[in-house]
Amino acid sequence: MYATYVIWAKHMHKFSRSTEEAIGLALQSVMWVVLFGVGMRGLVGDVGGNDYMSYMLPGIIALSALGGAVGGGLILLDERLRGITKEYLVAPIPRLSILLGNAASTATKALFQALLMLLVGLLMGARLAGNPAGWLAALVLVALFALGFSGLALAIAAQSRSIMGYHGMIFLFNLPILFASNALYPLDVLPTWMQVVVLFNPTTYLIDATRALAFGTPATLPLLLSAAVVLGLALGGVGLAYVSFQNSLQRTM
Amino acid sequence: MTTLAIEAHSLGKHYKEATALSDLSLQVEPQQIYALLGPNGAGKTTTLSILTTLLPPSSGTARVAGFDVVQQAHEVRRRIGVTFQEIVLDRDLTGRQVLDIHGQLYRLGKAERTRQISELVALVQLEDAIDRGVKTYSGGMKRRLELARGLMTKPEILFLDEPTQGLDPQNRAGIWDYIRTLNREHNLTVLLTTHYMEEAEALAHRVGIIDHGTMVAEGTPAGLVASIGTELIRMQGSGDTAHFINTITTLPFVLRVDQDQQQGAIQIYVDNSTRRLLDVVQMAGSNGMRVDDISIARPTLGDAFLHYTGRGLRDS
Repeated sequence: MYATYVIWAKHMHKFSRSTEEAIGLALQSVMWVVLFGVGMRGLVGDVGGNDYMSYMLPGIIALSALGGAVGGGLILLDERLRGITKEYLVAPIPRLSILLGNAASTATKALFQALLMLLVGLLMGARLAGNPAGWLAALVLVALFALGFSGLALAIAAQSRSIMGYHGMIFLFNLPILFASNALYPLDVLPTWMQVVVLFNPTTYLIDATRALAFGTPATLPLLLSAAVVLGLALGGVGLAYVSFQNSLQRTM
Repeated sequence: MTTLAIEAHSLGKHYKEATALSDLSLQVEPQQIYALLGPNGAGKTTTLSILTTLLPPSSGTARVAGFDVVQQAHEVRRRIGVTFQEIVLDRDLTGRQVLDIHGQLYRLGKAERTRQISELVALVQLEDAIDRGVKTYSGGMKRRLELARGLMTKPEILFLDEPTQGLDPQNRAGIWDYIRTLNREHNLTVLLTTHYMEEAEALAHRVGIIDHGTMVAEGTPAGLVASIGTELIRMQGSGDTAHFINTITTLPFVLRVDQDQQQGAIQIYVDNSTRRLLDVVQMAGSNGMRVDDISIARPTLGDAFLHYTGRGLRDS
């Protein structure tokens, strides 16, 4: 899959050259952690035996990964609408590598952002768990999560006819997904119907596992289950993107 | 028998609402320049998309460089270079990066990429601009860069979709020169689409006239012109045009009469234009036509096009 690497490297190169995008991402991360985190901490105090900053960091990292996925889909859509995808399509490379290159660059950016948020969070008083292996495992999960959602975003981007249409389809990817999860409040304070909704949201599993692995909050869901859900999301997302992309190739672009 | 460079049999492309292509066949010999000539929407780009493996045909088969475009798409892709109708360049890269990344996609080694880039940049005369951002390029420079990109991987067959669309005459002539040079010195087979008559006439060894998704005539430019009748009287006038056309069509020496809907010009194909000019003028006078302009013309590819499609190309 050398082509995946080439496309990934191209996107990363463009990202490194685009100061607006980089500064925007960095500011977003810092503002979420500082403004939202600090504000809520005054209100909430400790959750699940850990301070609120540590509690909500995984949630806003997940949110930033969702935002990144939307951006990744937008890159594919833009390349599709401007015809740049055709350069890949007439090249002797697997179709899947086009999607994987895009999803990989999206996940890489999400990881950067996650690290940055983590750093700011630590400065603001979040406390990491003692085990670096746990931190690493949490980052892997974040990357898989970003991969999965960028797959979903790509599946939509492959079919959209315009930027507006794409945004219409994709608005769910931000706050609704965040609110319908355990990102901001623990599962056991929710009414049963909402618990059911929250348990259908893969974001919940990522957040629960990240809390346990990186911040030492006791897991409320089995770790292995959470890891399996996130892995399933990654495979499912990329699979869906592939089917949607292949389907879109039956028509002229 | 040598293998054909491009070979298409009864290609069709049907959508739910419309038919883009029906029963199109074509053959291109190695080292030929072949032009698909037709108005916009005639099916040229659809044909090219199928031959370059971008789009699967609904019916029919095609082989490019000896490989099936559906079953052996990967082998086809390794052997072709393509430029698209719209300019398809990443504006945030430099010209050199565009070429280099393209080479990487085809797994060319670093040394070969460097060599190809310097050779091609010299060919399309972009030496001064190659390290600048593509967004600073003019339309002509972008087209030249795209041509260089299509050649990066040393293709056997080059597909060019409207290679000079939107260019000024000077840039157009430049691109024609590159295409001729490549064809002559590198034995490159070229299939191009165009709706510019002059382009087909200037470049192509063979021309296929395509309209409403099907091939209506095919041959050498000279052959196509010869096929429509010997000589031509072109007339511009006002009056009862329909009646006049009906009348002269019945004359024994008139082979065919066409009317260009946009221009209003009447083209009268006759056996001998000098001898029949006076007859035509007299017929016009006695049928209530006022002749504004009349001339004897040698038929061109444009006349052949009008003859076969019943419409001019200028509007498209």
